[in-house]
Amino acid sequence: MSDRIPRRAGALVLTLLLCALPFYLDAFWLRIGLFSMAAAIGAVGLGLLSGTAGQLSLGHAFFLAVGAYGYVWLAGEPGPGLPPALALVLAVLLAGAAGGLFSPVAGRVRGIYLGVATLALVFLGHHVLLTADSVTGGFNGRSVPPLELGGFAFTDGDPELTVLGVPFGAEERLWYLGLLLSALTWFTARGLLRGRPGRALTALRDSETAASVMGVHVARHRSAAFVVSSMYAGLAGVLLALAFRRVVPDYFGLALSVDYLAMIVIGGLGSVAGATAGAVFVTALPLLMTRYADQLPLVAAPGSAEGSIGPTEAARYLYGAAIVVVLLYAPDGLHGLARRTRARLRRGRSAPLPSDPATPSRPAASAVRAKEHTP
Amino acid sequence: MTGFLDNVLTGLALGAVYALVALGFVTIFKASGVLNFAHGSLLLLGGYLTAILHDDLGFAGALAVAVLVTAAVAGAMDRLLLQRGEQDPRTAHVQTIVTIGVDIVLVTDLARRIGGDLLSLGDPWGDAVTSLGPLTVADSRLAAIAVSALAIAAAFALFRFTPWGLSLRAAAEDAEAAALMGVRLTRIRTVAWCLAGGLAALAAVFLAAFPAPGLERTTGQIALKAFPAAILGGMASPAGALAGSLLIGLTEALVAGYQTELHVLGEGFGDVAPYAVMVLVLLVRPTGLFAAKGATRV
Amino acid sequence: MNARAPRPPRTAPAALEVRDVTVRFAGLTALDDVSFTVAPGSVHALIGPNGAGKSTCFNVLSGLCRPVHGTVRLGDAELTRLAPHRIAALGVARTFQNIVTTEGTVADNLMLGRHALSRAGFAASALRLPRAVREQREHLAAVRAIAELTGLARHFDTPVALLSYGDRKRVELARALCLEPSVLLLDEPVAGMNAAERARTAEVVADVRTELGLSVVLVEHDMGLVMRLADEVTVLDFGRAIAHGTPDEVRGDPEVLRAYLGGDAGQEDAA
Repeated sequence: MSDRIPRRAGALVLTLLLCALPFYLDAFWLRIGLFSMAAAIGAVGLGLLSGTAGQLSLGHAFFLAVGAYGYVWLAGEPGPGLPPALALVLAVLLAGAAGGLFSPVAGRVRGIYLGVATLALVFLGHHVLLTADSVTGGFNGRSVPPLELGGFAFTDGDPELTVLGVPFGAEERLWYLGLLLSALTWFTARGLLRGRPGRALTALRDSETAASVMGVHVARHRSAAFVVSSMYAGLAGVLLALAFRRVVPDYFGLALSVDYLAMIVIGGLGSVAGATAGAVFVTALPLLMTRYADQLPLVAAPGSAEGSIGPTEAARYLYGAAIVVVLLYAPDGLHGLARRTRARLRRGRSAPLPSDPATPSRPAASAVRAKEHTP
Repeated sequence: MTGFLDNVLTGLALGAVYALVALGFVTIFKASGVLNFAHGSLLLLGGYLTAILHDDLGFAGALAVAVLVTAAVAGAMDRLLLQRGEQDPRTAHVQTIVTIGVDIVLVTDLARRIGGDLLSLGDPWGDAVTSLGPLTVADSRLAAIAVSALAIAAAFALFRFTPWGLSLRAAAEDAEAAALMGVRLTRIRTVAWCLAGGLAALAAVFLAAFPAPGLERTTGQIALKAFPAAILGGMASPAGALAGSLLIGLTEALVAGYQTELHVLGEGFGDVAPYAVMVLVLLVRPTGLFAAKGATRV
Repeated sequence: MNARAPRPPRTAPAALEVRDVTVRFAGLTALDDVSFTVAPGSVHALIGPNGAGKSTCFNVLSGLCRPVHGTVRLGDAELTRLAPHRIAALGVARTFQNIVTTEGTVADNLMLGRHALSRAGFAASALRLPRAVREQREHLAAVRAIAELTGLARHFDTPVALLSYGDRKRVELARALCLEPSVLLLDEPVAGMNAAERARTAEVVADVRTELGLSVVLVEHDMGLVMRLADEVTVLDFGRAIAHGTPDEVRGDPEVLRAYLGGDAGQEDAA
């Protein structure tokens, strides 16, 4: 409990720092940050589903697409041309509804099996994006109408804006939108995880039997986790669409779903901070490697000779390997690593703890296997 | 009528190839409880090896090497990466995600090597066709059916008549009891992974053969359609996987064949029809069509 | 009325009536026409050799297993037709023979026991609505009181995975109590515990039974504990109820002695 004040102070410093960054960073870095924030929102949602509730999903890209295309269609032409802010909210709800439609499957198919079932969403979704031209624009996709809030547009002009001598273009404006939405994501996701739903989801991941005899309606909670996760994905999709300014079907493929899975695994399953860290890692890595390709050993600049290792590939090797290494050696990911380091630091300062609170990663596995006496 | 028969034959050929993949997938699941999401990249590896070796070794030699190497890679993946530490019910979940990590690395590497090319596997059938009464069938399709039937029969014989098959079934029933009776679980698992890897490499040949243009970097993704087949079959049953594969293959071929009539569904719906079938089946029966004891484990 | 303070069982104690329950697994009859009644507020022990069907009986009572025929009534409710979470909501809580705790601290596990008593859903928790926050705070206080009652107070914020075997078993007992049950099903609550831990657990069971007036169904191999706590005993053997009665009556029953001596009894300290 005494952690609380330094932790709050830390959060405050971090917030101030994040708010100050647009005054010092150029558009390239702001775009990395923006993509990372969007990814973090999506990853937190997937973490809730796959990390906390133990329901593997490879369909996350589909819900990102529903959010992104939902926004574009609702706010754009062709489409109802709603006010963009309203379209944003409706797009998130639309993603949730899409998740709800899948809930007869999501509520009853368990754990890793859901991973296979959700493959269907990605492939069917991709097919729809390609063929429903009138809504999605087909193969070439659609351009994204900029967000507008009460006459203030998240674009380079309209109105022109200069704060403290720094011209505020689209990146700077979207940065603050991203921060706001990320904060909203953190607030809600942590509320969920620390509240009654989070405990119920953890319980049904660890033992469906125990959860049900404690009063948890298993199918309903699985469905609800799926819907909530879809809504976060939808929000991430809208932010991504705003950052990209164009949505195309091929972006929302299976590889994107796998990226999100990589984020939460590398970050450490079941934690909001971990999902965020993983999202930044997986998103920023290829962008940074592209930028600094000429200074990295073994990595060729993009567009070099066939067969050489480009930055995107190098990044994929790295985080593919990271998944394997994390799961084999540190199943609680970056989050666990940070926690262990903190515990070690704290122990260095105060008296040693009777037992290390950071070591367990597979809880009570041995207890579950205790031999039974009767059937 | 010939159109229909044509489609059915295409569907059977597709189904037979999917069955090779699905059978491996199910064998791995039975032996280790893991869903191998790296299956598509193993298939791509097999195809790639056949493609680069057939000039030097001839098609048969290249295929043999590809099957053996892919089997070895699958086995090594299981031995070195998955079978570590204590095995408890949650490890199967963790290992499943490890296979996704392996898949990322393998697919990235193979896709980089293949690039935008279409690789020929040097198969002997080429674009030759045979007339069967009113039908004209690509030889590669007939070969797909014949070879898959042989390979599947051989795999079923392994399940049924060898000590390994017996142990595999015993271990799938109750791993702990099987271990107590002296079944070497690690070896059984590894053999299962090798078998699955070999079957995937074999399947690659037919996925890249005529009328497909050749091996592409996305060929591995086609193999994912065997996943719905395995799910439909109830995951743990080789016979179910076979039935599921034929169902999926037929659906895909028929939907593609009647594309003009099914225009509402959009062009190219055949390619994703297997997934639509899977969702429909899961809505009705969450444990799959042929699940005996289903996917329920506490 | 959104959140509730801790209180005695919410329903007036009702009898738990098990009638002619038969369960078969793949041809094997695990329970064969078993009947017994747990009087309100009593401790009813189910004993019998290994494989007699005691845990299966618990699984029927908590809705995890459907009998082929027979009924289980708690007051007006017919339990065999209800899903496990509905049975929990009626105030039937249980522990497991092999510990089944979930990740997190003791507090997290105990709060899970409050699931059926609280209402905050996904939206309310995500938005941290005042009623959800208040509810959580009130339940946390109730849960802390139960942790004190069961001797877990000093481990309240410890991850369950770090606790000793005996403490983890106690977490399960406490979690069941957090449901504020009117019927408590305890599956071997002291198995694997040392003498001091056993005494402590026995004390807790006796306390909650007298203070809260709940009914307890107890499966236990420790005959000393059974004889001390139980008001009534039902003996199962090969899925059949072969004897009913007070501990003393059952102890003298020749059928029971045969079942135990023919089986694998012996170590029970029937003193």
